[in-house]
Amino acid sequence: MVHDRPVEQPAGTGLARPLHPISYLQGALLGLLQGVAEPFPVSSLGHGVVMPRLLGWDIHQNDKFFLTFLVATHFATAIVLFGFFFRDWMRILKGIGRSLRDRQIRDDDSDARLGWLLVVGTVPAGVLGLVFEHPLRSLFASAASAAAFLIVNGLLLLLFERFRQQAPRPDDHLGDSDERIARLSWRQAVGVGSAQAIALIPGISRSGITMGGGILFGLSNEDAARYSFLLATPIIGAAAALKLPELLGPVGNGVRGPALVGAVCAGISTYLAVKFLLRFFETNRLTPFGIYCIVAGITFSAIFALGG
Amino acid sequence: MSPRVLAALVALLGVVLIAVAVVYWVDPASSLPSFFPGHEAGSARHHVKHGIAAFVVGLGCFVFAWFTTGPSSSPPAPA
Repeated sequence: MVHDRPVEQPAGTGLARPLHPISYLQGALLGLLQGVAEPFPVSSLGHGVVMPRLLGWDIHQNDKFFLTFLVATHFATAIVLFGFFFRDWMRILKGIGRSLRDRQIRDDDSDARLGWLLVVGTVPAGVLGLVFEHPLRSLFASAASAAAFLIVNGLLLLLFERFRQQAPRPDDHLGDSDERIARLSWRQAVGVGSAQAIALIPGISRSGITMGGGILFGLSNEDAARYSFLLATPIIGAAAALKLPELLGPVGNGVRGPALVGAVCAGISTYLAVKFLLRFFETNRLTPFGIYCIVAGITFSAIFALGG
Repeated sequence: MSPRVLAALVALLGVVLIAVAVVYWVDPASSLPSFFPGHEAGSARHHVKHGIAAFVVGLGCFVFAWFTTGPSSSPPAPA
């Protein structure tokens, strides 16, 4: 499918470049996809790489304009996640403040402990992301590679469920969700947080890795999903904020309009997806997403192998 | 190693890392010491992200030292 895109002719250069490298419709669809796929454990980046190829769009994940576009959708996702858990974040931030004032993380202060668990999970992932983002994205840039890693992601989700620990039950009297999450050890939090860096490979889901890590360490699916969403907010927000100047600078020319549309769509779909998933994981597991990733990965790989 | 000595060493590491961060932000890749990751002869670009990474880890060192030198025991949880 070929899209007619308006083209401008920069004076004196003789070179043509698209006026809107991403159309508004493409922006809206990519935004909706990003918003849904970010909280779902199915790899938003993988789907963002595969979808343009499937639809025959001239968009590649390492295109400067596409990366700039993604900044807007990720920023919207982070804002919606922060807004969704706003009251929780206020409690967590107050807890961190209390612990810094008292110079200790009290055992009975689950807000403070949860806050620092999120910090120690975010810092290694952030540092690894800063260092390895470019090489990993360059190495695994193709849609075929993303499709293959979707299969890997699906297998990982099934393995997480296979080797899950017994999750706490309501009659275990381990407190509310945050209190149960705050029982993770520092080492477990660092492990789950660092593992997020694997999701820099398109096809591997960040939320899938964090949810899987949570259930391996004894959280229920519901608590693991909540932990995953809390863990996502600072890292997605920081990564997007870091690149926001690109969107506002010359690189963003021609992308800002579609990016704004994409961001609005991503925000709406993120809100709906998070609301759905928190309810879904009250009674369900990662298994359906694992099966979806395997089937989708095999299907996409077959289509690409047949020249699609 | 006593907690205070450990805290002092970690705080020192924090100072070094923040200094490293400033070097990354101020100097272009060609002017970085050759043993720094990102050193690239003839390159005028600044490794801002490397600097942010060093700064964040440095900050983490200070936080660790802050807690390590705080009250060691936690009060029991209310029944």
